[in-house]
Amino acid sequence: MPVFKTPFNGYAVRFSPFYENRLLVATAQNFGILGNGRLHIIDLNPAGGISELCSFDTADGIYDCAWSESHDSVAVAAVADGSLKLWDAALPPSSNPIRSFHEHAREVHAVDWNPVRRDSFLSASWDDSLKLWTLDRPASIRTFREHSYCVYSAAWSPRHADVFASASGDCTARVWDVRDPGSSLVIPAHDHEILSCDWNKYDDCFLATASVDKTVRVWDVRASRAPVATLAGHGYAVRRIRFSPHRESLLLSCSYDMTVCVWDYRTEDALLARYDHHTEFAVGVDMSVLVEGLLASTGWDELVYVWQHGTDPRAIS
Amino acid sequence: MASNSQQPGMKGSLGAPVEVLLCDPEVTGSSPGNNPPPKPWEQAATSSGPTPFRPSTPGSTSVVVETSGTAKPGELYSNTGSTAANPSIVTRPLPSRPWDQNYGSSYGGYGSNMSYNTGYGSGYGSSMYGSSGGLGGSYGSGLYGNSMYRGGYGGLSGGYGTYGGMSNSGFGGTMGGYGNGGPYGNPDPNNPYGQPPSPPGFWVSFLRVMHGVVNFFGRVSMLIDQNTQAFHFFMTALLQLFDRSGMLYGELARFVLRLLGIRTKSKQKQHQPGLDQLESADKGRQQPFLDGPKAPGPSWDSVWGGDDAPKGAR
Repeated sequence: MPVFKTPFNGYAVRFSPFYENRLLVATAQNFGILGNGRLHIIDLNPAGGISELCSFDTADGIYDCAWSESHDSVAVAAVADGSLKLWDAALPPSSNPIRSFHEHAREVHAVDWNPVRRDSFLSASWDDSLKLWTLDRPASIRTFREHSYCVYSAAWSPRHADVFASASGDCTARVWDVRDPGSSLVIPAHDHEILSCDWNKYDDCFLATASVDKTVRVWDVRASRAPVATLAGHGYAVRRIRFSPHRESLLLSCSYDMTVCVWDYRTEDALLARYDHHTEFAVGVDMSVLVEGLLASTGWDELVYVWQHGTDPRAIS
Repeated sequence: MASNSQQPGMKGSLGAPVEVLLCDPEVTGSSPGNNPPPKPWEQAATSSGPTPFRPSTPGSTSVVVETSGTAKPGELYSNTGSTAANPSIVTRPLPSRPWDQNYGSSYGGYGSNMSYNTGYGSGYGSSMYGSSGGLGGSYGSGLYGNSMYRGGYGGLSGGYGTYGGMSNSGFGGTMGGYGNGGPYGNPDPNNPYGQPPSPPGFWVSFLRVMHGVVNFFGRVSMLIDQNTQAFHFFMTALLQLFDRSGMLYGELARFVLRLLGIRTKSKQKQHQPGLDQLESADKGRQQPFLDGPKAPGPSWDSVWGGDDAPKGAR
């Protein structure tokens, strides 16, 4: 399966919601501590390789990226200097980036585009806040400030246009409604920092959180006192969690133990597969919305793998 | 570093083109207004019955947020065009939904949450019991979830209202569920007007207070104990460190002196005799320490009796 070598350390990867062979990769130099960043748009060739369509440079590392749901060539990146930059791959380099929002006081760690209403996106930052942005406003339209420590992740509900969840280093996950002044639910989900969260795509009350305590937990927002499932198996902190867009109970996670794991939280033996193709921390992971079972991962070994679930990512086809 | 190198790019993007973009957000290189293919989950129905979320408001996100009154003050951009396009959102009063938070007034018999809270004891945190119908005491703390959220949900379907049944006392200990007996609330989840949990009696609350007090002192004593231990270890380690560093100093000093050619004879003399004796023992010479006294006469060999000792000696 194809492998793409990035010049910097990979931080995030996202499949395009428009094209089944297009991906977005966010990278940062020097493990994201110091240096530049680069956002790659890469294409899977039908022959079985990966070619780069274009790339955009930033003066600081890029920690996360997201495709626009309303324009097939627009992507947004969360930059370590606290800014959010939007690029349009269809425009010439002179007019890019098309937007640069700089409101966060510290690094922006996650960004997510609203998949239901398609006109807004969220950013989660280390300045303990989340901000809501739309393209028709020159600044953020809302700031969600309740977390008491860095917010590491934000995820829109795939079924409700106004609902999203956030995961923070204050060991809580929160569920928000953009029309409400405060969060509508606080889940003290883990005993350690929570690094990522994602919604179940088929059951809109289920939320998964991934934490430094090496576990992934699945929560029912109606009964958030106890987790529905606790998935243990990673050797170090779980960095990112994604629910499958095709199967209700399938989860994909990547961890600082350099592995990417596939889980089914409803079965007794939850760990379905473990991929150990990365030789450094696996940081970014995604599942294709358009092709069932197509997975992508990136990590600090500067490689982007795209493979079909069940096959070996390193196998050269 | 970031701002300097980024300035030209930002100028180019935030200058004139932005005005165009603000008027028409679809002005980008891609074809305007295209939507991605439908998501796989959009065809499937949601599988788990009622949800606690309010139905989404139609309109664009910026309009929805600004009409909800939660936008950042000072950053409310007067976009007359868009608000005029959706006048209904502002003018029409919404009917009170059952999942709205002021269910207390809409279900008149249950009494309002606030008054109950203030009447029942401020020491126990915010309401979680009150949300299930107003009769329950407010013993849940804000630690686990937003009580309003649960309350709203309980009002909607009844079955989930009593998740607060397993409450946390103000002192932090987890108390078992009471009233409806169990963390999962009403025995009949389909009966929204089921028996609300009765307020706990005097003894229950008194014992809860006692539990809190005992817990408190338990924790304090544990802390003191741990502190004492830590201090002890610290002191031990410090003394050991001084001891060892003294020895190290001595060794180093001897080494340096030897390097400088200064013999510290006295120290060597003290240590050498043992070595000399061992060497001499290897050479087979007479070694008084290893062989023991062989001299005849009164010796330790004959201590144990007259018969054995001479045999062994000879």
